[in-house]
Order: sequence, then C-alpha cells, then structure tokens
Amino acid sequence: MAVVPVLVGTRPFGSASAEADGGGEPPTIPPAPPPAIPPAQQDEPRRIGTRRSGSDRVFRAVLTASGVGVLVVMATVGLFLLARAWDALRVAGWGFLTTQAWEPDSGNFGIAAILVGTVLIALVAILVAVPFSLGVALYINEFAPPRIKPALTSVVDLMAAIPSVVFGLWGFFFLQGHVTGLARWLSTTFSWFGPFQVPGTDPTDPLATATVYTSSTFIAGLVVAMMITPVIASIMREVFSQAPVGEREGALALGSTRWGMIRSVVLPFGKGGIIGGTMLGLGRALGETIAVYMIISPVFAIQWHVLANGGSSVSSLIALRYGESTPFGMSALMAAGLALFLMTLVVNFVASSVVARSRSGASS
Amino acid sequence: MNRTTRTTLAGVLALVVAGLGAVLAAVPASAADSYVPVNGAGSSWSSNAVDQWRRNVEQYGMRINYASTGSSDGRNQFKAGTVDFAITEIPYGLTDGGVVDTPPTRGFVYLPIVAGGTAFMYNLTAGGKRITNLRLSGEAVAGIFAGTITSWDDPAIADDNPSIQLPKRKIVPVVRSDGSGSTAQLTTWLASQHRSVWDAYCKAAGRSTPCGVTSTYPVIPGRGFVAQPNSQGVAGYVAQTGNEGTITYVEYSYALKTGYPVAKVLNQAGYFVEPTASNVAVGLLKATIDTDEGSPTYLTQDLTGVFTSADDRTYPLSSYSYVVVPTGTENGFTTAKGYTLGAFANYFLCEGQQQAEVLGYSPLPINLVKAGMDQIGKIPGSTTVTLDVAKCHNPTFSSDGSNTLATNAPHPSACDKRGADEQCDAPTGGAPGAPGGGGDGGKGGGGSGSGSGGGGTGGTGGTGGSGSGGTGDGTTDQGGTGDGTGGTDGVNGGAGGSGGQGGSNAGGWGALAGGGPVMCEDDTGVCTNVVAMPVETAAGTTSGVNPWAVVAAGALVVAIVVVPPLVARGAAVRAAQAADGPGGSSRRASRRASRVSRRRARRAAAGAA
Repeated sequence: MAVVPVLVGTRPFGSASAEADGGGEPPTIPPAPPPAIPPAQQDEPRRIGTRRSGSDRVFRAVLTASGVGVLVVMATVGLFLLARAWDALRVAGWGFLTTQAWEPDSGNFGIAAILVGTVLIALVAILVAVPFSLGVALYINEFAPPRIKPALTSVVDLMAAIPSVVFGLWGFFFLQGHVTGLARWLSTTFSWFGPFQVPGTDPTDPLATATVYTSSTFIAGLVVAMMITPVIASIMREVFSQAPVGEREGALALGSTRWGMIRSVVLPFGKGGIIGGTMLGLGRALGETIAVYMIISPVFAIQWHVLANGGSSVSSLIALRYGESTPFGMSALMAAGLALFLMTLVVNFVASSVVARSRSGASS
Repeated sequence: MNRTTRTTLAGVLALVVAGLGAVLAAVPASAADSYVPVNGAGSSWSSNAVDQWRRNVEQYGMRINYASTGSSDGRNQFKAGTVDFAITEIPYGLTDGGVVDTPPTRGFVYLPIVAGGTAFMYNLTAGGKRITNLRLSGEAVAGIFAGTITSWDDPAIADDNPSIQLPKRKIVPVVRSDGSGSTAQLTTWLASQHRSVWDAYCKAAGRSTPCGVTSTYPVIPGRGFVAQPNSQGVAGYVAQTGNEGTITYVEYSYALKTGYPVAKVLNQAGYFVEPTASNVAVGLLKATIDTDEGSPTYLTQDLTGVFTSADDRTYPLSSYSYVVVPTGTENGFTTAKGYTLGAFANYFLCEGQQQAEVLGYSPLPINLVKAGMDQIGKIPGSTTVTLDVAKCHNPTFSSDGSNTLATNAPHPSACDKRGADEQCDAPTGGAPGAPGGGGDGGKGGGGSGSGSGGGGTGGTGGTGGSGSGGTGDGTTDQGGTGDGTGGTDGVNGGAGGSGGQGGSNAGGWGALAGGGPVMCEDDTGVCTNVVAMPVETAAGTTSGVNPWAVVAAGALVVAIVVVPPLVARGAAVRAAQAADGPGGSSRRASRRASRVSRRRARRAAAGAA
C-alpha cells in the first residue's frame, strides 16, 4: 500500500524528470522544411512514426511490467481480502460499519470502534509528527551549519531504520511511565476540550491512579509519531532543497530575512511536499501494528477521549487475534483489514491529487 | 571512480569474502547427535520454565524454538500444522463463547510439562511504602476481576488485612487481551467457585451465560480494566512504578522475575497461602488426572478438587501445563524432529524439574513423570527412556512413591490464619526480602556455595544442610537463613543452604544468574550447584560458534555499513577537487572573504555601541 505514496512523494525530484527525458517518446524524425508541393496535390498530415531501437523496447517492456506488476499486486491484495472477508460481511451486513463490539463468533461484530480508534491514533501521530518534522526539515535545509548537515540527515534517516517493535518496547516500558504526567496536565488544564477529558478520574483525589492515562490513544499516537517523523522529514527536506535558488536569492536581495525568505519562497514552493509527506506519514500511521499492539489496551467501544486508557486499531486487532481465531473470526479480521485497505487507498489518492496540483509536484 | 577508490573497494570486498569464509568455517560440521531444530508455540504461563530449559539443552546441540504467543495461539498453530509442538494449559475440545475448539486431525497426545500457581501480582503502596503482604479471599479475587470490588479499601479486602492500612485507591484489574491459558485457569476457577459473580460480569460484557471457561477475557468498556497481550505484557504493566493500584493474574514466576509481590489467597482450610512450589504441589495432590489411556484427554486435569482441597497448605489456583506433541509424521513432522523432541521431553521431565522451584514453578510428581515418559514413546522417532528414580533428582520423588515436596511442605504459620489478629508481615512473591527472590536478587547471592546437607537420603529433613553462604555477593548470614529451609526438605538436603534458594535476598531469579539449580547426590546428601559443576562435552559435540567468528562477523557488519559511504564521500570530495579546482577554491575564498567582512562589520557595530 505504501508503494503508491512513495512514488507520489518522490515524483517531483525523481520520476518527473525521468518522464520528461527518457520515458517520453523521442522525436526521431525532425520536422523537415516543407518541400515544394505540387499545387494540385491535396495537403495531407504527414505520418509521424517512431522507430525504437531494441534496447529501447526492452527498457519500455521492463518499466511497463513493473508498473503493471504493482497494480496487479494491489489488486490481488484487495481481491484476496474481499474473498476472505465475504463470509463475515454477509453475516454482519451493513451493521458491520456501525457495530462497536468485536465478538465475531457470536455474530456481534463491527468496525465502528476500531476504525475510529485507528483514525484517532493516526491523527494524534500526525499532529505531533508534522510540526516536528517541518522544523527538522527546515533546520537541516536552511539553518544547520554545512558541516553537520549530512550527519543530521543520516541520523534522521536512521530513525526510520529502527524496527517498530523497538519503538513499541520503548513506548511501553519507558515513555508510558514518563508521559502520564503530561497526559494528566493536559486533561486537567484543557478539560473544557472534549477529547482531552478523562472519565473516571478526579483531579482533586491525591490517590487517583495514573493508570487511567496509560495505554491510551495518545501514547500510542506519540510512539507512532516517532516512527513516521523520519519519513515525513526526509520528504520535506528533499522538497525544500528543490526550491529554486533564483527565487531564494531574489527574496534575499529584496531585503527579506531568512525566515521571510522561507515563508515567501520555500514553504509555498514545498507545499506539495509538505502535504505529500504528511499523507505518506498518515498512511503509515494508519497501518502501524506492533507498537500499537504493545501499548494499547483494546476496548471495543468508540473512545473519543484520546488521553484515557483504552483504544483500538484495526491492524493491532488483527495482530492480536489472527493466531487464535476460528475460521469465521479470521474472516471478520479480513473484513476489518479490507476496510483499512480501502481507507488507506483513499488517503493516498487524495494525497497524490493534492501533490500533483501543487507547484513542486507539477514541475520544477 | 579513480584508482584509489577502486583499490579501497576491492579491499572491502576481500574483507567481506574472508569474513564470510571465517564464519562459515566456524559453523561446526557435526550437528551433535543429529538433533534437528524443533519449533513450538503457545503458553506464556509456562514460558519462563521452557525458555530456561531451551537454553540448558543448547549445550547438547538441541535447538528448540519456542514462541510464547499464548495457549490459544499455540493450539491453533499446532492444529494448522505450523508448529511441531504446542504448550497449553487447557486441552482441546472446550467450548468457548459458543464455539467448540475442535481437536486437530493430526494425531497428538498431552504431556504434562510443569506445575505452577496462577498468582495475583499487584502494585500497591500505602503511605509511601509498598504493600507486600496482601491477603485476598476467593470472594475478593472474584469481586475484583468481576468489577464489583473497585476500591482497595473495600471491606471485603480490608477485613482480611487487619495489619494493613489500605488506601482508598481504585483497583485496576489488568487482564489478558489475547487468548490465554492463564485466563482459562482463572475463569475455570471463577466459573467453578464463584459462578454467580462471574456470570453477572459476563452477561454485562455481552456474552451468553453461563459463561464458563473462556480463554479471552471479556472487557467491559469504561470499567477501568486494562487489557494487555501476553504474560510479559500484563506483568510488565503492573510492574511499572506509576501504575499503582493494579492487580493481574499471571504465573508466579513472573512476580519473581519482575520483583513484585503476589497476594496470598485463602484456601478452604482458612489459611492464606502463597503459590510456592510446595503449596502448589500440595494443592495438586487433589487434582483429578484423566487416567483412561484410551481417552483423547488422557493425562489432562480436573482441578475442582484443588479449589476445595481441605489441606491448610493448598494454593487453590494450582494447575498443570501441558505440551501437545504429535504422534504421526504429518505436517512436516519427521522422525528426526521426533527424536529431538523426545530427548527434550526426557530432559524437562527429569532434570529440568529441579529448576522448577527456583523459576517459580512446581516440579511434577512421580506419577505424571512416569506417564509422561510413556507418552514420549508415542512420538515418532523418539527413544523410550525408562524412568530411573534415583537418577532423576526430581525434588518430589521418594522411595515410596509419595510426593516428597508435598509431604514436607511447611504448614502455614498461625499469622496466616483467617481471623488472626495480626497478619504475617513477611513479603511475598518477588518483593525485596521475600523468600522467593528479591529486588536486588539479581546479584545471585551465594550461588556458588555448596551446602553439605545433613538431610540424609530421601527421609525427612532432619537438621538440614549447613549451607556455606558462598562466594560472590552473598554474605554468610544469607546462607545461614537458607539452611532453615533446607532442613525441611529431605532429598534436597542442604538445598536451602546453598544460598540460591535460601531465605535471603539472594534467591529467586538471581539464583538463575548466580546461584543456579542445585543437584544433590542421593546417597551422600551432598548438594552442589549445577552451574558450578564442570560440564564435560566431547570435542565434537560442541555446537557453539567460535567466539572469534562472532567478533569477526560483527566487525564485518560494521565495515559493510560504515566503509562504503566513507569511501564514496572521499571519492566525491576528490572528484570535486579535481573537477573544479580553481572554481572551488575561489568559492571558498569568497566565503572566507564574506566571513571576514561580516566579522569586521560586527566589530564596527560593537565599537559604535
């Protein structure tokens, strides 16, 4: 699933130019000057043909095959999910979209709660990761001393290489214990804000347990944010570095400060990259499995209170239950997987259309 | 690419090839005794014991892979044929949530693997001090896990703990989110002993009643329950300092491992007991084992008798765990695998059981070991070993066939009786200072001490061993505490005296690292530490990889990661210099000039100020 946004995200700097140079049809026959035409003859459009060399043909075939291959894989994944999910979907009907419980063997199951949980975790992750990676990308590109620039770049890229199970362990054993204070502060200070309320806790009670703030959507979202930050940051950095030098220098020459130049040139130019990177991160956050599995305490009810204990996500539910499910339970899990698949697909299509419409995405 | 780069790359390549060669050469040609890797999955309840045994048999060249993914997952994987054996607390065929867990079509038998107590590990402080001697009645436990008792100062708990000032803190039950044998054990007990409470909870959770045994704990949203995957998950959650007020059900060994106390549970005789090895052994004397050899559930347990055992030493939630082994060569199971699995089973039924107690489990009694040995013979390719009682060193064995561990189990002290004015203040489980282990038990105490036991052969303990406290971190007085326990234990002689198991901080999990299991000679009563014993291995049977090869492989990995970018960067710099030498230098010069002018301007500004 992540393949599509990768192509989308990197298109401005990679494949777009490749398309213009190598992928396009080479004009093999230059338009010759019109010869003297006998006046009697009717004008006829000249036939323009392309003669391709052998290597050209092989190259085209390979590229076409890999392009089609991606689509075929996507289609088979979708079809497989649909086929396996069919049993469960037939039993659940439309209630599948509105039921919150997950008891497939008694026929009472639906994705209302887990889909909302998935989206909330991804939203928390995006809200944390995007400003963070924007800062990282701008600093590395515009402010960092040239000597430490490559080091910073590789450190950020290295973050993407940390396995998610390590992030999960870190989140479960380290972060969770240290972040409950922040969660408590958020919930008491911004208690007027609905999603920050934590039911079942009394701020005036000194013995109130901290467990209501653990295993929450918020903590899972924070860990996922750490995982998607490097992806988003490296895309943004790459796009920002493409901002035309002429315009940068123009802005500086007109007396703008560096921040002014960033605001007037780099950010508008990189809008497509920002959105594309965010969407790519969102796609990954929606599908993140093992870290969420380790942190979240699964509840099968819509949990709007992001700071409160309990939440759920589709992929962590699949990881949790696939081993021990009955065949029908498996089918129900497949149905949930199908829903996630479709949702991710929509997110990616939206992202690609947004990116394609922006300046850095269209051409540069 | 210039010539220097090319030579460097060639060097790297040569290094890679040489390193690979070294690693390959280091892999021993002889796979000891033609053992082949065997894969298993299942219970995390038993996994602490299994993992230790797996490590132990590696010295014989056996590779047993085990994934502690939960009993339900293990049974399903065995059914699907993806693993060679599964470990589970409950057999196939039980109805859970209206669905029958059908037995696999491949042939299989059950083999008891270890006994243990499902403990209630908790994290609770009062007045800044950790509570380590909590006592719970069955009603209180049922109420907590059914959500009817929600505060620690509830009368149902407070009445049984006269010496503890319980805080008015919310109880947070931590349950398993995956399908698990621990949940099955707990719900078996709940459904059998506290049916109405359990059914009411189940009904509220949307399950059909009577709820009965289930592997997946139903969680009602908004009740403050926390669900975590795996035993490691629930124990790890409770063991986070900030998570006060939490309580979970998990095998006793996890409490020892994480250093947290467990609740003493009230038994039928009116005593509060801890799930120690001996209390579990006493409880399981009342377990009904299916002895009908033709039955598909041969050797499986019915625990109703344990729940209601009248012995004052019984831990009511004691149970056995089972390994499901194949009897046919389907699903990729071969006789070579059967040979390895049989050898491993022979190991854990006999020698492995000695470590059960240190690990937080309870060793199997002789009848189950004997029946288990017979079951091993049904694994294709295994070699049948007849049980030699004298050589088995199982702490439960005795000459007359009774369970020594249970016979010699100490009776609970008067302060553990329900209704006593004062309750015992000795810490439980893995809490610091508890007999089972301790917070700083990792030091391993007097592990290498060898207690010369005066216990004698198989009889009653007598005066026990005078354990010399041992070397290392253990002090003599820790060893001294230990010899009291040793005295009660006949065959084990001075086992207690050898520091590891002694009543000191040194014991418990630390004993694994430093102390290790203890082995006693039957005829002399002399006990020695297994870890300290020299293990003879024939030169050809070592399966370990040459340590230098490991170092070389590590260096190779680092080199592969680090060298190419360095080389590339060096090449790029050199190329850039060669390509635009004058341009580059002029750019550098201009940069230098601008820096100088900036500095000048700054100085001027300072002067103006």
